[in-house]
Amino acid sequence: MSQRKRLVHRPKIRMKEAQALVHALKTHQVDAILGERHIMVVRLKQAEENLKKSRDQVRALATSLQSIRENERTVIARDIHDELGQKLTSLELGLSWLAQVTPKQRPVQEKIGSLSALVTTLIQSVQRISDALRPGVLEELGLVKTLKSEARAFKEHTGIPCLFETNMGKAKFDRPGSVAIFRIAQEALTNIARHADASRAMIALTTRNNDLILTVNDNGKGIAKKRVLSAHSLGIIGMRERALALDGLLSLRGSTGKGTTLTVRIPLSRVLIGRDSVS
Amino acid sequence: MKAHRRERGRDATARGATYIFRLFVAGNESNSSQAKGNLARLCEEHLNGHFEIETVNVLRDAATAYKNNVLLTPTLILIKPPPKVTVVGNLSDNRQVLAALGLTGNGR
Repeated sequence: MSQRKRLVHRPKIRMKEAQALVHALKTHQVDAILGERHIMVVRLKQAEENLKKSRDQVRALATSLQSIRENERTVIARDIHDELGQKLTSLELGLSWLAQVTPKQRPVQEKIGSLSALVTTLIQSVQRISDALRPGVLEELGLVKTLKSEARAFKEHTGIPCLFETNMGKAKFDRPGSVAIFRIAQEALTNIARHADASRAMIALTTRNNDLILTVNDNGKGIAKKRVLSAHSLGIIGMRERALALDGLLSLRGSTGKGTTLTVRIPLSRVLIGRDSVS
Repeated sequence: MKAHRRERGRDATARGATYIFRLFVAGNESNSSQAKGNLARLCEEHLNGHFEIETVNVLRDAATAYKNNVLLTPTLILIKPPPKVTVVGNLSDNRQVLAALGLTGNGR
């Protein structure tokens, strides 16, 4: 008890003074702290400014990287579509001509039939790859309808039913914003297909308190916290970078039996051009 | 008790007593420079030349700081007139500093 009392009384400062010290520290009004043997010069205000500057630089870098990546994808998508797509179409037309000029040669007709089927599959593949690289539908239909179509395509490809919900009506998003949100949703759905072992999924695009909220969840086996924070989870890092570039935040929660929920919160002012109606 | 102390402070200004301050700073660090400027301005505005400011640079004279039980800089101590008052920070909140020194409503 006596020892405790001595420790309590050791600093020669009263409560009111201690509160003033804490306030000065909290409001960064301190230049130096005097210890028993040393004086430590502190530059909290400068450190905070430097930290903010660093964060802004990281954010700018993330934005720039996303932009470069999207531009590269656009170029690759165009090349694939123009070069491969057109040549495959020429091939298809050539096979069709061959079929017309060799009507009585059965083995040739059979070969032409199988080659035509292969070319049709190739054209579809090229279309799919090109769309995945640069979703033209995003520009034509806008983000809301594209997400709806993505949910439908997800069900067709994986067999997992995927609901889409929104209260965004005919909201118009700017291009970087809609690309980022679409890519995050796309990556989240890919993760569900690859890892979740789920039987249903859902995408929701809503607004709350001047924020745009994208939620993608499933009822699968969940995700371990370790994996969420892992430096090797490049998909998650990519999604987080995209959100960060728009001053947004991304969270991932998962538990066995309850599945995984990805939530992205982005200020509406960063992504919205106009909103005709909210339903 | 608090009100009584402040009343004494006000009486002192009314009688024209000289205010003696000791300001502990860390060289020309940002908050220390601000504190020096803010204190000078405050004294000019409220004490009509009846003041003395002793500046102690703790980076050169730590002993005085330890003697005065100063733990952080900038720290301002009102030595005279009593009661002794200690204010920590860059003195940017004019209203609070004046209240702490008992100088509220005493512009000369």
